[in-house]
Amino acid sequence: MPEPVLIQPDAAFIRDVIETGGGDLKKCFQCATCSAVCTLSPEDAPFPRKQMIEAQWGLKEHLAGDPAVWLCHNCGDCTTNCPRGARPGDVLGAVRSALIRAFSFPRFMGSLLASPKWLPLLYLLPVIIFGAIALLGPKAVSTASPEFAELFPIPILEALFFTVSGLVVIVLAVGLTRFIRALRAAGCKESILKGLAPAVADIATHKRFRKCSKEQTRSWGHLLTFWGFVGLAVMGTAVGIGTMAGIMHTPLALTSPWKVFANVCAAVVFVGCVMLLVDRVRDPEKRASSTYFDWFFLLTLAGVVFTGILSETLRLGSAVWAMYTVYFVHLVLIFTLFLYAPYSKFAHFLYRTVAMAAAGKGT
Amino acid sequence: MDKKTGVYICSGCSIGETLDMEALAKVAESEFKVPVCRTHNFLCGREGLGMIRKDLEEEGVSAVVIAGWSPRMKTEAFRFDPAMVQERVNLREHVVWSHADGGEDVQMLAEDYLRMGIVKANKSEPLQPVAEEISKRILVVGGGVTGVTSALEAAAAGYEVTLVEKQDQLGGFVGTLSRRFPKDPPYTELNLEGIADKIQEALYHPKIQALTSARIKKIEGEPGRFNAVVETKSGDTEVKAGAVIMATGWKPYDASKLGHLGYGTSPDVVTNVEFEKMAGEGPVVRPSDGKPVESVLFVQCAGSRDENHLPYCSSVCCMATLKHAAYIRSRNPDAKVYIIYKDMRTPGQYEKFYMKTQDHALNFLTKGEVAAVEAGGNGKVTVQVKDTLIGRDMAVEADLVVLATGMVPNAADGEAIRALEDAKIKATTGESENQKAEAAKTVEALKHHEGTAILNLTYRQGPDLPVLAHGFPDSNFVCFPYETRRTGIYAAGTVRAPMDSVHAEEDALGAAMKAIQSVELASRGEAVHPRSRDLSFPEFFLQRCTQCKRCTEECPFGALDEDEKGTPKPNPYRCRRCGVCMGACPERIVSFKNYSVDMIASMIKAIEVPDEDEEKPRVLVFMCENDAYPSLDIAGLHRKEINPYVRVIPLRCLGSMNIVWIADALSRGIDGVMLVGCKYGDDYQCHFAKGSELADRRLENVKETLDRLRLESERIQLTQLAINEYDKLPSLIETFMKRIDELGPNPYKGF
Repeated sequence: MPEPVLIQPDAAFIRDVIETGGGDLKKCFQCATCSAVCTLSPEDAPFPRKQMIEAQWGLKEHLAGDPAVWLCHNCGDCTTNCPRGARPGDVLGAVRSALIRAFSFPRFMGSLLASPKWLPLLYLLPVIIFGAIALLGPKAVSTASPEFAELFPIPILEALFFTVSGLVVIVLAVGLTRFIRALRAAGCKESILKGLAPAVADIATHKRFRKCSKEQTRSWGHLLTFWGFVGLAVMGTAVGIGTMAGIMHTPLALTSPWKVFANVCAAVVFVGCVMLLVDRVRDPEKRASSTYFDWFFLLTLAGVVFTGILSETLRLGSAVWAMYTVYFVHLVLIFTLFLYAPYSKFAHFLYRTVAMAAAGKGT
Repeated sequence: MDKKTGVYICSGCSIGETLDMEALAKVAESEFKVPVCRTHNFLCGREGLGMIRKDLEEEGVSAVVIAGWSPRMKTEAFRFDPAMVQERVNLREHVVWSHADGGEDVQMLAEDYLRMGIVKANKSEPLQPVAEEISKRILVVGGGVTGVTSALEAAAAGYEVTLVEKQDQLGGFVGTLSRRFPKDPPYTELNLEGIADKIQEALYHPKIQALTSARIKKIEGEPGRFNAVVETKSGDTEVKAGAVIMATGWKPYDASKLGHLGYGTSPDVVTNVEFEKMAGEGPVVRPSDGKPVESVLFVQCAGSRDENHLPYCSSVCCMATLKHAAYIRSRNPDAKVYIIYKDMRTPGQYEKFYMKTQDHALNFLTKGEVAAVEAGGNGKVTVQVKDTLIGRDMAVEADLVVLATGMVPNAADGEAIRALEDAKIKATTGESENQKAEAAKTVEALKHHEGTAILNLTYRQGPDLPVLAHGFPDSNFVCFPYETRRTGIYAAGTVRAPMDSVHAEEDALGAAMKAIQSVELASRGEAVHPRSRDLSFPEFFLQRCTQCKRCTEECPFGALDEDEKGTPKPNPYRCRRCGVCMGACPERIVSFKNYSVDMIASMIKAIEVPDEDEEKPRVLVFMCENDAYPSLDIAGLHRKEINPYVRVIPLRCLGSMNIVWIADALSRGIDGVMLVGCKYGDDYQCHFAKGSELADRRLENVKETLDRLRLESERIQLTQLAINEYDKLPSLIETFMKRIDELGPNPYKGF
């Protein structure tokens, strides 16, 4: 038997979980109905019963190093069946959001994402940046048809977004290091690298996710969003590099395979996002359990795709001022999505992948 | 006075269709020459009852034998003057309903039952109601919340009450509490109401005599005629009372035995009772250095549900701890409160308070077992907990550790005290050195009972109530709450079973009702539960008594005292009429007017035993009237087939079974005897506490008798049956019959 662990409840962590969606956390009386009904809970290390008491007791280190927190896909079966109304699904969601903030660097950024009161500030930064670019930046030569580059010069945007991406990668790396350190400290010995390929394979097919959801809207919505977004990310990076290298010139022709691919991806993400939104809004139970943390990420993502499609349509329709306005919003949202990714729900893609690898839960 | 017997046979409820009514009537008329014998097809109706009443008046019938429905039915309508002998023959449930096809064997069964009924009626004598001068005053011992409530309730019902309290004021433990458990919906707020109003009411009630700083010096007598001497500061007071309510409450479990939980290792480890006092007096501080407490750890079941300490749950410690958590919360919202439990037990609406307590962010609860409690170097106490819900052993540091200890009844073990006294005498006057040494050992083992008596009864079986499980004096807290094994003395509140003050108040009411019932029944010379309203009393033919003391020792209710020689001195009002003394007596000198050794023996003789070549075995079944006999009624009601070769004789209790009956039965050629009675042992269901167990013990002696008769001991069997096991009864009987078949017929047939 290992030495008894000295228990020092982290009151701030408990309050954080309670305030960000785990408000019923303390109601749990450990009957383990949740672990019994969960379709994803493994027999050798069932969850979320244990995670519930660790959260109740504010055992942040235990939870930080526990991959099980990320193995939950939040179908809500546990919440529906909880005899005490402790809403374990919501609590795990809140724990994940608290952990994303805890792993993030710098930590104050996490706090800014935790509550809607800082929302104006979050948007203020990109609004200033893109406003400044639009007003002060060098204007490109006007061509026959209106182009975004006339107001938002491509080199500036490229430089900005590659810088932001670089920052985000560094910040995520810090978070990842913290997470892995926490996993190791909690006694996880699995090789993450070895588990990575099966984990990615599972994510690619959403096998676990589909096992989790009672109805398919959510898992298919997530699958479409995921693949559409991956497509867009790949395409965006490629075009970005291509433009910088001078190989490509935007806007690409509508018939360009790149453009066709991008438009298809955008449509796929859009459909996926709509499905996810419908899923959250239609069911009063899910509506109630959706937090600011969920909405911020989902609406930002949906907004990016929507404004992207809309601005492209407007551009093709040569509605100049409307097109610039929507594109401005589009840029602000993309910036928000990327810069705040390590602190928002976006970061779950990273932690969940690593957790699945660490827990050997890949396909 | 010569009896004139009337036999009334009902032919309704398919009795007439199954049985030959004329042949049945012939048994009464020809065999027994009964002067009045009538058959009616609806005897229980108004016309049938009218017919019987007319015979009582006009024909001068003085002994009524009703052959029809079970004696357990229609008891009120067919209750005649107690000066009449009344007997029932169960033709419906035990004969026709349980033998649907009828036939020769069933006719023989019915005729045997009728013979047995007439014989019993002939042997019975009318009962004479005894009217003694009795007191209806109720003596309440203990002036805590239970005692005060009992006193008020009894007084409100019009009874005089004497309330005796050892402290200088009423109120007991509850009187010292600053908060009580939630009482009103939504059950999330502690109750601020004390019991001060109640105490005032009791003190000024014209019917309540409250004696404080008082103790019971002696209680002698019997229900309706207790004579108590109460010692007070101003001298002894005599109280004549009809019934006693024992509400002596509880004491906390001795924490000095809880060294393994750190009690005594640090001043910062206290009990819940100590904490109640600490928290009642302002801010919660560490006893060691007076610093305000920032973290508290509660150890639930401290010494409770633990075979080495208190094996039971006290039912209140969980709520007490939750209440104490609320005390801490109200003084320090940021303090950390840890609760380590085995199971949280918050019965009924108290669950709501548990849920509320759980809800606070800094209240931490887990199941777990406290492995060690040590004073840490940093002024804190370190508690190690194993088997926790977080899946690993843990250590918690706290400023204060509170041990939630349980309740120990403030009761004395009357029988142990008596045993101690006996052993003390034997230790000096024993016949051999060996005996003296044995007695000395007993004295050593029972020494801690010395001087513990509270009621100071002058009973032969000891100066206080006998205790049952875990030192509580309640006789059977499921079936007969408040009843103790001393008639007219009722236990209420925490001395009876662990409970909180709300339940104690309810308990007080129940016990007051029981006490009132007891004095009212005593005033009419009637028995209390379970033979409520029975007017018979045991009579002792003392000229033949050999002073063997079996009756005085075995009486489950301590009804019999003894003179110096050991001759029983009956206290009729303490008697519950079970007949255990009758079963115990080897000289057969104990009998009731309507229940005696001779009577049952005559009933056995009335059974016609066919010759061996007829191949109709006969088995006698003695059935306890309380559970077994009703089960057979229920079996009949469900039309369960019963073997027609058995003859059932109801007994008041298996404990009243006198082994001479078994010898009688076997020597008459009856092939086997079955005894069906209540379950005994730790969770006994015997309505007279020890009856079925005593019967089982007596059967040991029967084996000798059988040896003498050269008969197999397998011919006798005692079966324990619960009242709800009626469906098992037919097959139990069938199995026994099979065994008898295998053993072959009783060789004594025809003698």
